[in-house]
Amino acid sequence: MSWVPWLVGGVIAVAAVAFVLTLVYYYNRIRVLFNRIEEGWAQIDVQLKKRYDLVPNLVETVKGYAKHEREVFEKVTAARAGMVSGSRGERMEASNALTGALRTLFAVAEAYPDLKASENFKLLQEQLDGIESKIAYARQYYNSSVLVYNNVITTIPGMWFAGGRRKHGFLEIPEEERRAVKVEF
Amino acid sequence: MGRISFQDEIARNKRSSLLLVVFVSVILFALVYVFVYLIAPGYIVVALPISLFLIVLYAYSSYRYGDSVVLASTNARPAEGREYQHLRDTVEGLSIAAGIPVPKVYVVESEEMNAFATGRDPEHASVAVTTGLLGELDRLELEGVLAHELSHIKNRDILFMTLVAVLVGLAAILSHVILRTFRYGGFRRGRRDKRGGGIEVIVLLVGFVLAIFAPIVTRLVQFTVSRKREYLADASGAELTRYPDGLASALEKMMRRNRGKMEVSEAVSHIFFVDPNRSPLDSLYATHPPIEERIKRLRAM
Repeated sequence: MSWVPWLVGGVIAVAAVAFVLTLVYYYNRIRVLFNRIEEGWAQIDVQLKKRYDLVPNLVETVKGYAKHEREVFEKVTAARAGMVSGSRGERMEASNALTGALRTLFAVAEAYPDLKASENFKLLQEQLDGIESKIAYARQYYNSSVLVYNNVITTIPGMWFAGGRRKHGFLEIPEEERRAVKVEF
Repeated sequence: MGRISFQDEIARNKRSSLLLVVFVSVILFALVYVFVYLIAPGYIVVALPISLFLIVLYAYSSYRYGDSVVLASTNARPAEGREYQHLRDTVEGLSIAAGIPVPKVYVVESEEMNAFATGRDPEHASVAVTTGLLGELDRLELEGVLAHELSHIKNRDILFMTLVAVLVGLAAILSHVILRTFRYGGFRRGRRDKRGGGIEVIVLLVGFVLAIFAPIVTRLVQFTVSRKREYLADASGAELTRYPDGLASALEKMMRRNRGKMEVSEAVSHIFFVDPNRSPLDSLYATHPPIEERIKRLRAM
């Protein structure tokens, strides 16, 4: 039968093409999902930088009214310095520490009516509030991107195409923030 | 899993938008045909180029400028200045979480609590809230409402909803014009020439029926589009804020305080968060799902 080799060849060719297409699809999909995580981090990074730049302003403003709160200023400055380098997890931790330090600072500010009435202070407080909530949202995007990525590379058929890729780590949400939602309502 | 249904939703919206434009094109052609027939029956050949021109004009301009029309008709102004800093921050934060570009933010001067989103895609989108909404809602409630609107943007609901808004406005004007022409032209013609054969009578009848039914049909489109979309946007908005109770309590406030007296055009009422022209208690002719039902679903999440 002269057509048998043609048939076998055809089937092999179709299978090969299908395999290559699937490979390309999953390679690209995993790449895209990975890039989304990177993009998520970039979003967080932007907000962290903004906050990093605002904090000295805030400290200066508060110092003008409340010179004697040295302890708080040092805490804030130290936490700010910790945000510059390290792994993502470490930088987020430093950022959370800064959030805590800033809360203390704002609590201290309550005792100084002149400071609280200052336009500059109010503006800084609003900006920092905005940045803080954006950091939380960016982290949410990051974590949900990680979840989708991890799901694809650990389930069939994605795991067959994942190569040596490992599951990506989440950015942990600090305990106090989890509680915050309940307190506010 | 959620991602797939979400992609389906986008595809469905694009399909609906295309279908809508095709549907309108056919109606537009018929209307132009009747119109030309009534005014100058001898020049019926021009009906085709004229209607083609109008169709292209309609499709392009409502795609490209639909959002401007909607924003203008609701008297929305850009949310600039420090008093809206918090609003802009919240929109920006939620956009980051939703993974979409930050939309333009607008404010509508009104005591009623309401909000809407418009645009053609996430890259060209706007979200607007009333001053009443900003005044009455706390942070979590505002986030809930904005997340709902951003979900409309993300799901591409905005394109379809904006197209419907433009269409309903246009249909109202067109059928008005046609009906007047028909009354005037039809009366005169009936007297003077009796040559008109069966075909002409049929064309006239079809035109008359179209002119009457166009607004009804578009209103029907408006009714059917809204409910499912609203429930879906409530759900995906709650997914975004991870706090369905925020949106639920915003809805409760609206149910208690809104009087339904925003007085915006009926053509755009379906794009609003809650019906702007009717009190929440008046559920007849509702373009929006009943608020109680929305609250119930959110509380059950």
